[in-house]
Amino acid sequence: MGKIVKYKLNGVEREAPEGQLVIEAAKDAGVEIPHYCYHPALGNPGNCRMCIVDVAGAPKPQVSCRTGVREGMDVKSDTDAVKRAQASALELHLVNHPLDCPVCDQSGECGLQDYYMKIGQYQSEVREDKEHKDKRIVAGPHVMLDQERCILCTRCTRFVDNVTKTHELGIFGMGHTERIDVTPGMTLDNAYSGNVVDICPVGALTDRDFRYKVRVWYLDKTDSICPGCSRGCNISVHANTARPWHNDGKRVARLKPRMNMDVNGYWMCDDGRYGFTNLDADRLGKVLRLSPVKTELSWVDMASEIAPLLGEGLAVVASGMLSNEDWAAYKSLFADKLNVTQHYFSSEPDQVGVEDELLRRKDKVPNLKGAEALGLKSGSFDELAKNLASGKIRTLYVIERDLTKIWGDKAAGLLAKAGVSILQGPNKYALGDSFTYRLPATAYVEEEGHFTNFEGKIGAYKKALSPIGDARPDWDIFALLGKALAAGRKREVAA
Amino acid sequence: MTPDAALAVKNAFTPEQEAALVAWTKKYPYTNLGLIEALRAVQDWHRKVEPAAAARVAEIFGMPFNHVWGVATFFPTFTRWKTGEKRVGICHGLTCYLAGSSKMEKCLEKTLGVPKKTATPDGKLSWEPMECIGACEQGPALQVNDRLVGKATEESISKLKDMK
Amino acid sequence: MTKILTKHFDSEPKFHELETYRKLGGYESLKKALGMERAALLAEVKKSNLRGLGGAGFPTGLKWETVPSEDKVPGPRFVVVNADESEPGCYKDRILLTRAPHQLIEGLLIASYVIGAKDSFIFIRGEYQNQYDILEKALAEADQAGLLGAVKIHLMRGAGAYISGLDTALLETMEGKKAWPRQPPPFPTVAGLMAKPTVVNNVETLSMLPFIVREGGEAFAKIGGPKSGGTVVFSISGSVERPGLYEFPMGVKLRDVLLACGGPLPGRKLKGVIPGGTSMPPLMEKDLDIQLDFDSVRAAGTFLGAGGMIVLDDTMDAVEIAHNIERFLTHESCGQCTPCREGSNWSERILHRLLDGKGEAADIDNLSRVGENITGKVICALGDTVGMVLKGYIGRYPEDFKKRVKSNG
Repeated sequence: MGKIVKYKLNGVEREAPEGQLVIEAAKDAGVEIPHYCYHPALGNPGNCRMCIVDVAGAPKPQVSCRTGVREGMDVKSDTDAVKRAQASALELHLVNHPLDCPVCDQSGECGLQDYYMKIGQYQSEVREDKEHKDKRIVAGPHVMLDQERCILCTRCTRFVDNVTKTHELGIFGMGHTERIDVTPGMTLDNAYSGNVVDICPVGALTDRDFRYKVRVWYLDKTDSICPGCSRGCNISVHANTARPWHNDGKRVARLKPRMNMDVNGYWMCDDGRYGFTNLDADRLGKVLRLSPVKTELSWVDMASEIAPLLGEGLAVVASGMLSNEDWAAYKSLFADKLNVTQHYFSSEPDQVGVEDELLRRKDKVPNLKGAEALGLKSGSFDELAKNLASGKIRTLYVIERDLTKIWGDKAAGLLAKAGVSILQGPNKYALGDSFTYRLPATAYVEEEGHFTNFEGKIGAYKKALSPIGDARPDWDIFALLGKALAAGRKREVAA
Repeated sequence: MTPDAALAVKNAFTPEQEAALVAWTKKYPYTNLGLIEALRAVQDWHRKVEPAAAARVAEIFGMPFNHVWGVATFFPTFTRWKTGEKRVGICHGLTCYLAGSSKMEKCLEKTLGVPKKTATPDGKLSWEPMECIGACEQGPALQVNDRLVGKATEESISKLKDMK
Repeated sequence: MTKILTKHFDSEPKFHELETYRKLGGYESLKKALGMERAALLAEVKKSNLRGLGGAGFPTGLKWETVPSEDKVPGPRFVVVNADESEPGCYKDRILLTRAPHQLIEGLLIASYVIGAKDSFIFIRGEYQNQYDILEKALAEADQAGLLGAVKIHLMRGAGAYISGLDTALLETMEGKKAWPRQPPPFPTVAGLMAKPTVVNNVETLSMLPFIVREGGEAFAKIGGPKSGGTVVFSISGSVERPGLYEFPMGVKLRDVLLACGGPLPGRKLKGVIPGGTSMPPLMEKDLDIQLDFDSVRAAGTFLGAGGMIVLDDTMDAVEIAHNIERFLTHESCGQCTPCREGSNWSERILHRLLDGKGEAADIDNLSRVGENITGKVICALGDTVGMVLKGYIGRYPEDFKKRVKSNG
């Protein structure tokens, strides 16, 4: 941070650190200057020429992404002359741009559309056939490339060169023969490939997962936290409830990262970005007693039926998927009220994976820290398997965990060894029909709460969607059981 | 990269050519300064620069392949089509154009029997229009393999086939 | 008439050989320079009013002065000879390299001494392979005679891009990258080749140094005009009886140059004279008496550039000329910034349509408008000229353009 200097922006006296890029200083002051190629995490090549501003005393207009604030500088970004200059730069971006809007996923969030409506609105003077390039290129497992739409801002090549350092994209050719393309012999398959779709200002790089699913103006956006690992990347959940017949009926359309310089910067990994299929598939919505006969219950009845079963010989399986609120209620019920000693929520063996220098963490759950902060400790699943096998477990309470992922083929047999079993969670999983009781819980998108990431930073997620059927948040279910327990004890005492 | 592609990269050059490329990494005070000359050598040997060859050059220079392929596709000297052993250039810069280069282009096409940027069937010759080659006093100027031949006339063009 | 660079060209066919060059006083200036203080030499170059003769016309002494001293910025610094002559109309460097390689080498060694460069480079366009061989030979001669001293001179060839001739793009090419111009600051003299202080000078500019050292900066300045010292070498072509190299003192009248080279051709009427390469709009009949130096030509609405003079006559059509130049600029655009990349291509297509007989009146106004939108808003001078050429030709030859418009009915 340099020393603070005074300068003028659009006639208003302002202050900024000396040398700060004018485009950034303007943003801090609430003034948006049009731009494509500049990105705070990817640099300022100054090749789009959109961010032109008038600097008093300079021989010609300056690009604000490459000009630093100086004492006494007089900058104008909103005069007619500047707007005309910006509009003329925009016109040249559009000269060879295909009119794909009706079939382009970027429609509604496109840099060209947005600036055209804001500062363009001119009649096109193009009477030539446009340049034809390759379209519908499968760049990688998650990304489609359309060369005609590309404005050659170089953001994507800078991303794969400087952030992931995987070099799968490049600009090849010279002058008007330039094309963005996948490097010969490569595929855009690094673990962060989806980010190039975010940074592409136009529809040149689009998400295969989201392709043709739903128009962006039907999406509701909610601040949330990715539950994919203990990094806790800040995300935005984009849900479609306005047009339920689009997107194959799925509510969650896509996830996007939210900028947080303390956690994930501007990015998120592909595992997190595309790993939300469980939110609209295999969902539980009814409170059920499955054995001996499938019977639907009310929450209150279920609670009073289950409460007496929670006592001696109770083992609880959970995971770092629980929020801080869930853990607090979990501790209150299982540790404080029931004195349970058999807690199993370690991420080993099924909730661990690849860790890298960028964002991905080994623990593929968001909130083991929440349990740690409350002093809860987990046993190993080998230990639980032994206890189940030797018949020691009277009641097995499983919260949002797929036992087949832990014990493979042995899981069904081990589950059957428990006297009574309860599954609580948003998804049914492979053995969902083999439990005694099945309780529907909300997924993180249907509740609000907090996760604590591996560094102890607490992230808040908000409610994006309504719960499915009778589903409730985990902490609510624990509280309900706690109440039923207390009522039961009262009756015992009274009796 | 597929195993076939990896093999093509490994075998892109003969041992002598590999040694020459390595020499270019050491010729100048900094390694990367030798890249353009190295790619010029590849164009001389193969009469084009293909991805496998460029990938091997990238390995030798310790640079990412997308960078080297970007350079190989940028400069007009490096081609993706195989030029003739004698790469003929005819200038169509302003003075040469005003001196009648278009007519000489047609003469080249007729005499050599191939359209521009296509090698003759025996691989000996190819021709292409070029931007100003700095011989405006002798326009329309003709060059072969980066050496100025002189003014393009029906006579000088007919002599091209006999050049050693 | 004073000639500096081409003085011996008519009388000495072996001027390119070391023996002849030395016989005529070659390398005496280098000896003198090496015995002088570097600051004193820089002062002489400043006094000389030597301007960059590769196109930009920047005062050479001022450029050298911006190189930070070794105590401020320790480490290597470089001198790079820009022998990437590619501007249509220019061939003076080709002939200077062919006839007077030692003149350049001596100038380069003097510059290297002043700047403090231990490694210097001659970047030569790939299409000058004959000149590359001549330089190789001359460098070997100089090396054998012990003239290179502590300086290592590296030869390096380009790969066919006109934009490589722009100083920052040249440095990018040398560094093994695409020839995408940089956006100073920092300027090359502060952070150039591999981020080290680097002076990039044209062949002709450096070739003037032996004279300046020998006769002094003031003598050089006197030969030229008030702010452009010495002489300028024109490569003349087009509608002239005697195309070729012509060296004149800075400030010579256009009329006198045309007289010397015999332009326009007999029986033809003068249409215009492109003074410095096709990127510069033409001087007109009314400009025959202007002085050809950087500032006077600037005042007349065009640029002296690199002295690539093309004489146009009334058999030549402005739309064809404009199209030819825009085609050149489209092919040579590096593609880095949108206005130049898209604008040059678009202009070329519109002009092509005009040539094809499918032009409309709106196209001409549109071309002017597009040109205005590009100039001043791009990264480098190539982009600027995309617009200047359109404005220049439409403004000077409106009738030629109007003729191409489809008539209604």
